[in-house]
Amino acid sequence: MLQILVQVVVSGLLLSGVYALVSIGLTLIFGVSRVSNFAQGEFVTLGMYATYWLFVLMNIDPYLSLILVVPSFFLLGIIIARVIIKPIVGAPPIAQVFATIGMSLVIQNVALFFWGGNFRTIKTSYSETIIRLQWLNLPLAHLVAFGVAMGVIFLLYLFLKYTYLGKAIRAVAQDRQAASLMSINVGLLDLITFGIGIACAGIAGTVLIPIYPVYPTIGFPLALIAFVVVVLGGLGSMTGALVGGLVIGLLETFTGFYMGSALRQIVYFIVFILVLLLKPSGFFGQRGSEEVGFK
Amino acid sequence: MMGKPYDFSKNKKFFWGLIILVFCFLLPAAIKSAFYLDMLVKVVLWAMVAGAWNISCGYGGALSLGHTAFFGIGAYVSTILFLKFGITPWIGMLAGGFLAIFFAVALGYLSFRLHGPFFVLSTVAFAEVLRIISIHWRSVTRGSEGLSIPFKPNWGTFILHNRLQYVYVALCLLLLVFLISYWIERSRFGYQLMAMRGDEDAAESLGINTLQLKIIATSISAFLTALGGTFYAQYIMYIEPHTILGLDFSVQVALISIIGGMGKAFGPILGSLFITPLSQLLRGWFGGGYVGLHFIIYGMILIIVVIFIPEGIFTAIWGRKERSNFFKDLISKWMNKIGVFKT
Repeated sequence: MLQILVQVVVSGLLLSGVYALVSIGLTLIFGVSRVSNFAQGEFVTLGMYATYWLFVLMNIDPYLSLILVVPSFFLLGIIIARVIIKPIVGAPPIAQVFATIGMSLVIQNVALFFWGGNFRTIKTSYSETIIRLQWLNLPLAHLVAFGVAMGVIFLLYLFLKYTYLGKAIRAVAQDRQAASLMSINVGLLDLITFGIGIACAGIAGTVLIPIYPVYPTIGFPLALIAFVVVVLGGLGSMTGALVGGLVIGLLETFTGFYMGSALRQIVYFIVFILVLLLKPSGFFGQRGSEEVGFK
Repeated sequence: MMGKPYDFSKNKKFFWGLIILVFCFLLPAAIKSAFYLDMLVKVVLWAMVAGAWNISCGYGGALSLGHTAFFGIGAYVSTILFLKFGITPWIGMLAGGFLAIFFAVALGYLSFRLHGPFFVLSTVAFAEVLRIISIHWRSVTRGSEGLSIPFKPNWGTFILHNRLQYVYVALCLLLLVFLISYWIERSRFGYQLMAMRGDEDAAESLGINTLQLKIIATSISAFLTALGGTFYAQYIMYIEPHTILGLDFSVQVALISIIGGMGKAFGPILGSLFITPLSQLLRGWFGGGYVGLHFIIYGMILIIVVIFIPEGIFTAIWGRKERSNFFKDLISKWMNKIGVFKT
């Protein structure tokens, strides 16, 4: 009994790393540009497809393809930020919501158009590898996904804490106007953060493809989960996104295991509603969040 | 001659409206092709549902991507009542409408404390929960198999002999939505709604109960959307969760209203006249081989419209004096916004 419990907890934790990574990308973009990117999940899909094609066409190992995925997704993010996000920074919510919803619609259907609706999986020599610690089963791909996600989050933390650019990003997230008065190039930081956020989604996609099959609509539910994580953790808070990701990952695995798959799909919405009722600012809500998202 | 001739100029708008209305009701009778009648039903239905969306989201500014839930409630309630208890869908329609109001009020109290994207998210979550429930509650909804209505044409069962009759029912529903929107534009209630859309805090400080206002607007909108849902179920005679409770549906409703012009009674009608035939034609042209292409075009139109002409294509064109400069303006606006060629 205890063994099963520990196994469920560990599986949930391994799953939650990726949620945290996607959510941190989302919350970074939101913190700096105050744009909620409803297409975040679609970039995870794109990351999965990119890794899939690199593997199928050029036989590049999924984890090795990170070297290509990270810079190309960062660049893609900057281009998209330049063309679509820049005009909607500071625009009324309708423009922000529907521009990113439109983007998600386009990406989903571009994937459907070019690659069809089939589930695509890749088989590597280690797909089936399971590491056993006595009675505890740890699938290797899950472990790597968790490890990479945590590693990236740690690097991001160091970057935000100690580099000049990172400090500038935090300053803009705290007070956009004051930061621009301190001669920080806010417009440029919008682009860079969006690039970082998209790169996070791309990495999440890369580490997910050895675990899950990819199809065009896989991303959108992930974006919804990421939003719930962000609301749970508090808007614009990285710690919040990390903790929120862990909580949601655990909850999902628990309900999936003990109460069936139907409840698993709605448990995070129930959490979302409960958070709204009990603590609308989230666990680690940052100053300014109530002004934009909550009242 | 005795007496003064009747002064038409005073009620010019009213008479033009009447003429257009009579025309709208006569025109379908002249159409013989089943294809065009089908398209007409869809244009009118989408205009009606988008009009209902426009009431809470266009006038009130409470952006929702969860209206598919109200549509689904309307479709499922009337169909289940009909199939299980033999209750005529005309009554089922009202039952669905009232259940939608109940959900709208509950949703409103929970999520109207949220703003902007987070409110939108809560409406998406609401629709998703309903969709997942309808997939898994197989004893009542038969899950993903869906429910089909047996074909027994009769006015009492709301299954009509020919498409022309459906056109008229849909036109009546559209007229209802249009008249409500028209009334909103001219009433105290509507002014309060639009004031709230403009600046919620300012509206509140002027003594407007914004929570109550939002809930009333959403209830009206939900009720009308549910009526559209019942009509859809009776027209297609088959319902399943993925088409009527999916996010795509909500996006399309919003798209039609945004493209036509939000917060205008005519907006959704114009939007539907443009978008619905476009989607049918795109599907027809590209056939089954190119799935998704029309959604790519939708998405692009949506992005371009909300960024550059948030007031809607038709309002933008008609509201302008020099019409010829419209597209030139659009392009230079974009260039300026993304800062390519600063002029």
